[in-house]
Amino acid sequence: MEIITISKFNNNKGLNDEDEEMEDVSNNDQIVTPGELITEDTVWMRGHGTFALGNKTYSSVAGTILKVNKLLSVKPLKGRYTPETGDHIIGRVIEVGNRRWKVDIGARSDAVLLLGSVNLPGGILRRKSDTDELTMRNMLKEGDLLNCEVQSLFQDGSASLHTRSLKYGKLKNGIFLSVPRSLIIRSKNHSFVLQGNVSIILGVNGYIWIYKTPTVDNRLKTDSTASTASKLQSGVMGRQSGYQVGSGSVSLTRLEEESSWEIYSDKNDENISDAIRSNIIRYRNAIQALAHSQIGINESRINMAYEASMAYGSLGSLTEPEVMENISNDVLNGEKMRGS
Amino acid sequence: MSNKELYSPEGLRLDGRRWNELKSFTCKVNTHQTSSDGSSYVQQGNTKVMCKVNGPLEPKSKANSNNNNASITVNLNIASFSPVERRKRPKSDRRIKEMMTILEKTFSETVITKLYPRTQIIVDCYVLSQDGGILSAVANSVTLALIDAGIAMYDFVSSINVGLYNNSIPILDLNHLEEGDMSFLTLGIVGKSEKLAMMLLEEKIPFDKLETLLGIGISGAQRIKDLMDEELRKHGKLLISTAAS
Amino acid sequence: MVKLAGLSLNEQEFLTDSLKQGIRSDGRSLDQFRDVEITLGDQPGYVDVRLGKTRVAVRVSGSITKPYEDRPFEGIFTISTEIGPIAGAFFENGRPSDEEVLVSRLIEKAIKRSGALDVEGLCIVAGDKCWNIRADIHFMDFDGGFIDASCIGVITALQHFSRPEVTVSGEQVVVYSTDEREPVKLSILHVPICVTFALFNPKEKEENIKGGADGNEEAGEFAIVDATMKEEGLSNGTLTITMNKNKEICQISKSGGLPAEGLMVMDCANKAYGIVEKLTDQIKEVLKQ
Repeated sequence: MEIITISKFNNNKGLNDEDEEMEDVSNNDQIVTPGELITEDTVWMRGHGTFALGNKTYSSVAGTILKVNKLLSVKPLKGRYTPETGDHIIGRVIEVGNRRWKVDIGARSDAVLLLGSVNLPGGILRRKSDTDELTMRNMLKEGDLLNCEVQSLFQDGSASLHTRSLKYGKLKNGIFLSVPRSLIIRSKNHSFVLQGNVSIILGVNGYIWIYKTPTVDNRLKTDSTASTASKLQSGVMGRQSGYQVGSGSVSLTRLEEESSWEIYSDKNDENISDAIRSNIIRYRNAIQALAHSQIGINESRINMAYEASMAYGSLGSLTEPEVMENISNDVLNGEKMRGS
Repeated sequence: MSNKELYSPEGLRLDGRRWNELKSFTCKVNTHQTSSDGSSYVQQGNTKVMCKVNGPLEPKSKANSNNNNASITVNLNIASFSPVERRKRPKSDRRIKEMMTILEKTFSETVITKLYPRTQIIVDCYVLSQDGGILSAVANSVTLALIDAGIAMYDFVSSINVGLYNNSIPILDLNHLEEGDMSFLTLGIVGKSEKLAMMLLEEKIPFDKLETLLGIGISGAQRIKDLMDEELRKHGKLLISTAAS
Repeated sequence: MVKLAGLSLNEQEFLTDSLKQGIRSDGRSLDQFRDVEITLGDQPGYVDVRLGKTRVAVRVSGSITKPYEDRPFEGIFTISTEIGPIAGAFFENGRPSDEEVLVSRLIEKAIKRSGALDVEGLCIVAGDKCWNIRADIHFMDFDGGFIDASCIGVITALQHFSRPEVTVSGEQVVVYSTDEREPVKLSILHVPICVTFALFNPKEKEENIKGGADGNEEAGEFAIVDATMKEEGLSNGTLTITMNKNKEICQISKSGGLPAEGLMVMDCANKAYGIVEKLTDQIKEVLKQ
C-alpha cells in the first residue's frame, strides 16, 4: 500500500528532481518518458519524439535519447513503422484502385503501389497499356502479400512502393509472420537463404515471409509446366493470344514473358516436401520465440534459434512459453560465448 | 447517508488503510504484443483494467478523418462479471457513453494529435473487475497503453478519486463500498503539475471542502504518475538490454 | 460543444485575442452571466427560459404508476431532453450525439442525483402506487448555455408545478380534481443552479501543458462565464459547476478538454457561487408572482 504525503495544495510546481540530473545530455541508454525535461540548452535542434517550450526541450515519447550532430531526438521503444526510402518491406494489398494498389505496410497510413511501379507481365521492357489497367486484379488482388521497396515518400509521410526488380513481387510457397517492428534492425540485406531449403525475407516493417528456397531447377520446371496452368488459373484470357504467337519458339522473350506471368501466379509450387514444410514451421516458431523475449532478429540469431529449437522434437512444443524462453536464453548465451 | 463502520475512530478503513493510503497499484505494459501497437494492464486494489491501443492508422471511416489532427476513438467494455453481482451493461448505457466521451476529450488534449493528421487512434478498454475508481483506472491504463504504442504525448494523465466521509474527513482512492456511501471527486491531472485534465463530482459536497479534496487528489494522482513512470522505465531498460544488438 | 462552421482561422484568432483582453462581442465582462428571462406558463409546470438568444421550454407533468421494485418508498422522477433541428441546423434528428448524452447526463446529475426533488414525498402506497414526475426539456433556440438554461428551467418548473391532492383510505386511493381541493406543491429540498465556464488557452498547447512548470511562464488560461454559441465553438473545453444557495456543490463536470490549473477551478467555483445566489433570488421573485 502506498502512503501519500500530502503536499500543500498551493505549493509550487516543477518539483521533479530528476529533471536536474538530466541537464547534460548524453548518448546513453537513459530512458526518458513523456513530459520529461531533456535539456535547457538551446544549441540542440529538436527532432522526432520531442517538443519544445522556450529554451526547454521535452520528450514526448518513452524511449532513448539519440543525438546526431546537433539534432536531438528521442527514439521510441516501440511504435508503428515509419517508412523510409529504400526500405525492403512486405505489404498486403487491401484495395485495388485506379491505376494503383493500396497496400497495408503496418504504417500510420496505407502505402500506394502504382501500376507503373510493378513489373508488368509480358516482359520487363514493355510499356503499360490500357488492358493492364483493366487486369490489375489478375496481377495483385486484395489479400495478396508482396515483397517490395519504398520508392519515395509523400509529404504526409505515407509511402509509394515499387517492385521493379526480380527479387520483389508477389509472395508464395511459404507463411507470413508479423513481429514488433522494433525487433528488426535495418541492414544492407533483408532476404536470406537459410539451411534446410528455406529462405526468409525480414521486412523492415516487422512483416516476415518464410518460404521454400526457389531453385534454378525449379524455375525452369515451372516455366515449362506450371505456367500454362497458372495462366489459365488467373484467367487472363486477353493475353492468351499474344502468348500463343510466340509459343512455337523458345525465345528469350517467351521465357521472360512466361516467368513474368509466373510471378503473379496464385498457385504454390507442387513439390514442397513435408520436410521443407516442417522446416518452415520450425523457423517460424523459432522467430516467434525470439519475438516473445523481445530479442532483436537477424540472420545469425535465426540460425541459432533454429538450432536451439532442434532440442525439441515436436514443432507444437515450440509455442509453449517456457520453451520459447529457453530458446531465447540459448541464443543470448550462445552470443555471449562467441563474444559478440 | 454515511455509515459509521466505513472509517473507524482509530482512523482505519474497511480494508485497513488509512485515509491517505492508495490501494495497491500494479501496472504492466506491452501485455498484448501481437494484437495491438500498445497495451497495458492496471490493477488498483481489486479494480482490474486492460487497455489496447491501435494506431495511428488509416481511419476506418471518412468520418474519423481529420486533416489536421489524429482522431481518438475510445471503446469501453465493462465485463458483465466485473461487479460483485453479475450485471450486464449494454454498450449504449449512457454512463458508459459518458465515460467514453470524457476519455476521448481528455486524451485528445494530451496526445500530440497534430503530428498524426488523417489518422485514427483506436483505444479499447476492458474492465475485468470493479472495486471502485473505474474511470480512474481506465484513464491510467489508457495513458500507459498510449505511451507503450510510442504515440507522442505532452505528458502523462494520471487519475484518482477522493471521497468525503461524514462531510468532514477526506478519503483517498475509494473502494466500491466506500464509493456507494459517500460523495467523491474523480480527477485526472497532467504530468506532475496541478493541472486538471478531467474532473468529475457527482454528488453533493460542501463548497469549503472542495479545495482540500482537490489538494489530496492531486497529490494522490502525482503518486500514481510516479508509479506508472517507474514501471515504464523498468520495462524500457529490459527492452534495451535484450533488443539492442 | 458544437462544431463551429463558418469562422475563418483569422476570425477565430481575432475573437480569442479579444477575449484575452476582456472584450466580448456582446459587451459583457468575462464573468458576467447573461440576463435570464423566466416566463411562467398558464398551466402549472410550464416554464419558458430565455438566456440571450437561447430558449428552452420545460414542462413538468405527473402521473400515478407503480414504483421501482428496489425502491418501494420512492416516487419516480425522470428528465428527458429533446434536441432537434429546431434548436439549430447542426443538431441532427434521431440518435443522440455524444455531446447530447453529456448534456442530458449533466442535467440529470445536477437535479436528480443531487436530490433536489424529495422523491420519498411522492410515494402514495408503498410498493404499489407513487407519483411519476416527468420533466421534458425542449430546446427551442440555441446560442450557447443549454445546460445552464435547462437547469434553471427544470428547477423553476418543479417549483411551479403542483400535483392534485390524493388521499388513501384502506385500499382506496382517491385523486381530487383541482376544483375539489387545492393542488399540492412538490417538496423541493434545494435549488441547484448550473454555471458553465468556457475555457480558453491563448497560447500553444505546449505552453498550456508545461506552463508554470520548470520555471516556465504561466500559460495564462482563462475561463469565461456563460459562453455564447460562437464562444463555445472557439473554446478548448468547458467546466460546469452546479451549486445551491447553501454553499453546497452538487456536481462538477470537466469532461476532458483544456487542462486547467486547480486554482482556476477554485476561482470559477467562487464566481459560480455569486451567480447562483443571484439566480436563486430571481427564481424566487418570479415564482412569487
